Amino acid sequence: MQRDWPDIFGGLLLAILGAGAALWAAMYYDMGSLRRMGPGFFPVLLGAALFLLGLVIALPALARSAEPPKIEPATALAVLAAIVIFALSLSRLGLAGATAITVLVASLPAPRKGWVWRIVLALGVTMLTVLVFSVGLRMTLPVWPRLS
Amino acid sequence: MTTWEGLLFGIGFVTQPEVLIYCFLGVVLGTFVGVLPGIGAMAAISLLLPITYYITPEAALIMLAGVYYGAQYGGAVASILLRLPGTPQSAVTTLDGYPMAQNGRAGVALFTAMASSFVGSMIGILVLVLLANWLSRAATAFGAADYAAMMILGLVAASTIGTARPAKGFAMVTLGLLLGCIGTDVNSGAQRFTFGQTELLDGINLVALAMGLFGVAEVIANVRNPDRQSVAARIGLRRLMPSRDDLRRMVLPMLRGSALGSFFGALPGTGSTLSSFLSYSMERRIARQPERFGKGAVEGVAGPESANNSAAITAFAPTLTLGIPGDPIMALLLGALVIHGIQPGPMMLEARPEMFWGLVASFGIGNLLLLVLNLPLIGIWVAMLRIPFNYLYPAILVFLCLGVYSVRGLSFDIMAVAGIGLAGYLLAIAKFSPALLLLGFVLGPLIETNLRRAFLISRGDPMIFLERPIAAGFVIATVALLLLPVWKAWRRRAHA
Repeated sequence: MQRDWPDIFGGLLLAILGAGAALWAAMYYDMGSLRRMGPGFFPVLLGAALFLLGLVIALPALARSAEPPKIEPATALAVLAAIVIFALSLSRLGLAGATAITVLVASLPAPRKGWVWRIVLALGVTMLTVLVFSVGLRMTLPVWPRLS
Repeated sequence: MTTWEGLLFGIGFVTQPEVLIYCFLGVVLGTFVGVLPGIGAMAAISLLLPITYYITPEAALIMLAGVYYGAQYGGAVASILLRLPGTPQSAVTTLDGYPMAQNGRAGVALFTAMASSFVGSMIGILVLVLLANWLSRAATAFGAADYAAMMILGLVAASTIGTARPAKGFAMVTLGLLLGCIGTDVNSGAQRFTFGQTELLDGINLVALAMGLFGVAEVIANVRNPDRQSVAARIGLRRLMPSRDDLRRMVLPMLRGSALGSFFGALPGTGSTLSSFLSYSMERRIARQPERFGKGAVEGVAGPESANNSAAITAFAPTLTLGIPGDPIMALLLGALVIHGIQPGPMMLEARPEMFWGLVASFGIGNLLLLVLNLPLIGIWVAMLRIPFNYLYPAILVFLCLGVYSVRGLSFDIMAVAGIGLAGYLLAIAKFSPALLLLGFVLGPLIETNLRRAFLISRGDPMIFLERPIAAGFVIATVALLLLPVWKAWRRRAHA
């Protein structure tokens, strides 16, 4: 048992976000009046509310203890990297290339060891993806890598 | 033509073998396309719209109605089995449907979703046929202040969903509302929080938000989770069909959900999202053991699923009587009519009664076919969970990225999924509810528009929310909901 860090950090982060949004909106967007609200009115209101709610979450949590959460930074990194790689490579490597690389990267944190199953999986998912999205749904995407 | 004659005529019309085949085809295609994460009814109908050029308008419409229901159910399948909701309505279904699947009750959850959508649609059809005029009159009686007050009531009622601390729920709704502000302000044209990114002019992509908050966060949390790897072992032990107790538990939530959905569906734009959240929070409030919710309560699937399906049907009332489509999907269905040279609107009932009644009957037949077709398929869907998670999740990631990409064709949206996924993972660790964020995000622009309109009409006088009887009712209900926990705590102290 330790302090309720998730609520403390989560609350503070939300409070900062809210304050930031409210200040940004107040500085750059027109507030208008209650009768004729400008584009800044609603964001300022919401930002202020989020700031208060963040404090309401964080402050009582200081005095409370909770189970420490399990965080897996390596898994998160691999999964998010796979998505970014997919986004970046889709237009250059085509659907097939992007899918194969993404599956390989995404499968890195999987508990099962070995490389053979990862490669087989990449090939299998690539085939399935091309069949479903390109052949079946006729999505307008280049399938193969551009050679030029 | 009286109502019953019309209905019989419609049923006779759509039960012609060739029409039935198209309906069947639509339901099958819709279900399979809908299961793909992020590709919902909207995308499925747009994809299949060109095919309808080659068939008669009646068959086309009925096929598209089939696609619509199929895709909606397919979305529920993805939400229950994999926690991949493409719409805010199916986000509600994940709240209890996904835990049910994790407990080895995936078959029961799928059955519940299917039966509830069937009951919801049937009640919706009944209401549409009998009360179409009354519903559209009620919808037009709603002014800007009434809409704003109603949606705020919905947000407050939903805020206790899925979190132990109300402040965390409210914070998520507020964050969602704030994220909804991103993009071009509809009233003034000002660009808010876009930071020069042209991709943000239309705001954050809803599907990217849903996929990041639910799908990606869930994948990260489960890759190295031994429990998730052994879900398959739990499936084999339990039956696929619901027990008598399950059936008994789902009947009343279905009826209440359908009633809520039938009413709210008639209000353009917000109906099906609002009614599914309201239904969920109502079921949890009146349940004898509210603590079961969020851990796999049948009621939590039955209520919202019937609510959003009945809302989807009664959304057609304003379309038919006033010529205003209630949501984008309805607009698309009507577009299909226009392609075939039929003008939908108030005159359709007199000019083309066979179209009107055929349409109503096709809603019913489409849902019936969906039920017949998918009952045997439940086993196959559940078998998807037998695939070891090691092999499943890389495919999920690729599919959800493509689903997001299919909405607007922007790589930017896939990048956004990564960012939102990280946020979603952190929110899940700190036990914040992503469903509430999504609700706030969807309702945000509507609330803002209606609030601004209401204050413009009243010249800045907030009394408009108390002078209009409908708005005042919602305001009183909201205040009562906020004060209820305070009163309960006070009473507990008084007793002690």
